Amino acid sequence: MNIRRAFSVTKRIFLGLRNDKRTIGLMFIAPIIAMFVFGLAFSGDVKNVNVVVVNQDEGYQIPSSPAPISISNRIISNFDTSVLKVDYVDTEAEGVKRVQEGGAYGLIIFPAHFSSDIYAKLQNPSLPLGSTIQVRLDKSNVNVANAITKAVSDALLKTIKDIGNAAPVTVDADNAIYGKDAKFMDFFVPGIMAFVVFLLTTLLTLISFVGERTSGNLERLQATPLRASEIVIGYAIAFSIIGMLQTAVLLTIGVLVFNIMIVGNIFLAFLVIALLAIVSLSLGILLSSLAKREAQAIQFFPLIILPTFLLAGIFWPVEAIPSWLRPLSYAIPPSYAVDATRSVMLRGWGAGGIWVDLVALFGFAVAFLALAVWSLQRGRG
Amino acid sequence: MKQSFAIETKNLTKKFGAFTALSDLNLKIESGAIHGLLGPNGAGKTTAIKILCGLLKPSSGEAYIFDKKVPDRSILPQIGYMPQETALYLELSVHHNLALYGELYGMPRSKIAEREKELLHFIALEKWRNEPVSNLSGGMKHRVSLACSMIHEPKLLFLDEPTVGVDPELRASFWEYFNELKQKGITIVLTTHYMDEAQHCDRIGLLRLGKLIAEGTPGEITAQTNTTNLEDAFLALSRQEAKA
Repeated sequence: MNIRRAFSVTKRIFLGLRNDKRTIGLMFIAPIIAMFVFGLAFSGDVKNVNVVVVNQDEGYQIPSSPAPISISNRIISNFDTSVLKVDYVDTEAEGVKRVQEGGAYGLIIFPAHFSSDIYAKLQNPSLPLGSTIQVRLDKSNVNVANAITKAVSDALLKTIKDIGNAAPVTVDADNAIYGKDAKFMDFFVPGIMAFVVFLLTTLLTLISFVGERTSGNLERLQATPLRASEIVIGYAIAFSIIGMLQTAVLLTIGVLVFNIMIVGNIFLAFLVIALLAIVSLSLGILLSSLAKREAQAIQFFPLIILPTFLLAGIFWPVEAIPSWLRPLSYAIPPSYAVDATRSVMLRGWGAGGIWVDLVALFGFAVAFLALAVWSLQRGRG
Repeated sequence: MKQSFAIETKNLTKKFGAFTALSDLNLKIESGAIHGLLGPNGAGKTTAIKILCGLLKPSSGEAYIFDKKVPDRSILPQIGYMPQETALYLELSVHHNLALYGELYGMPRSKIAEREKELLHFIALEKWRNEPVSNLSGGMKHRVSLACSMIHEPKLLFLDEPTVGVDPELRASFWEYFNELKQKGITIVLTTHYMDEAQHCDRIGLLRLGKLIAEGTPGEITAQTNTTNLEDAFLALSRQEAKA
């Protein structure tokens, strides 16, 4: 192993990139676009949902009050207006029709005697159930339907509290252990970082190595004193540097534009990403030995992209994946990088906290590097 | 005393699955000679060169370079290899391609600069030194490729079709240069399917379907077949082979 020769390979990659603006663009512009597109589209919060309200409640006349008091109106006024866009209709049939025509996702019905039934129940708790808000939803979109249900429940709780009848039991989830005030972007940025580095490094090494093979360069290199291990190490140095640069760009945008949370030691996150880059480039070299031409290499793309996209815990947690499918999550390296960078950035964990991820990534790196070197040596069939 | 050859092969055979690319090649190439491997496409010329360079493992038989059995990494610094494909980094300049190979052979920077200057002069591309290879014509790329294989002053040069796509004038200057290298004691093994060009070689081996069908000086081969040129000699030998 001669490190100078490995460095010559690294230098060759960077010199080549200098004259290859398109690839530089792909390396740095694509991640930024991905972050904006995914970040803004998947922000996780459902907003501006059209709903219609049928309010048949007449209110309740308290002797001391000049006008009837309407609890339904109070609940409606407590709706989170960023989530629900409220319109009114007179009858349930009209509301159903509006949903059927696609003009609204849900119909919220306050029945007649709504307020008076509540007062009666408050006065005499032994009465059967007081009153019901009927929420009729278009559940074809589960996320939207859940957002409506939650907005109505939140408004109801707030109203009950306002009128001085707080529930005897409440849930307080504000005092978080980790990630207090975390937004979806805080959860998402570590994921997209790992995703982008894994994807681009694997695909670029795959394409670039198929090129090395088809152009005859690899053969010429192998007829020199350069060893297969030195080629792989040269690539590893170059692509871990590129991976860290990509991470730096994404983090800078994450902090400046999306104001993301970084609690832990960011250098640890860089180390994780560099390890992931090494795993990815080794995978790229390995796969390149199975492709004879660039066009064949492209056929591997879905094989690399889809499992990572779906199973690595980037967009949704691994816990949301059916348990029988979870072993697959643990079989793909980006899962560990996503978990580790998230733990470092949001939980502020140190190396001790993410040692399992580090060991897994290190193991993958060593195994894949060895396999990549083996695949190059085997090429001399 | 045992005579030492630059290259010696004994029953060298290479099979790819059921296909035999090279069959029982027995060849001795003296140091300081220009040896041509001739034959049509698929004759086994490139396979032979790749085995000698350590890029392919023989299925059976043996090959020796400077008395060392290949593959042997210690031979690599002494050999230069120019593949049939362009085998250059297109996005890199001519200079950076040459420098890369200089570095891989562990040459000091000053030596690389010196060799680069000589070679650029030889391939007449001094003005193109800083141009990306992708901007060069096919023939120019071929010349750069040749230069890359010689940057480290190898004692033994393997050139796979070095004159393909090279214009006649430059081809003549290539041969002049090959003869200069020969004067310095460098051994050159080249493949070609231009039969007329092979006249310049000291000795040639004619290959057909993986078999060596004749070996000797161009004069010996034409005399042996009662022909006046190598092309006719090859055709005559091929017919004999086909009958046998």
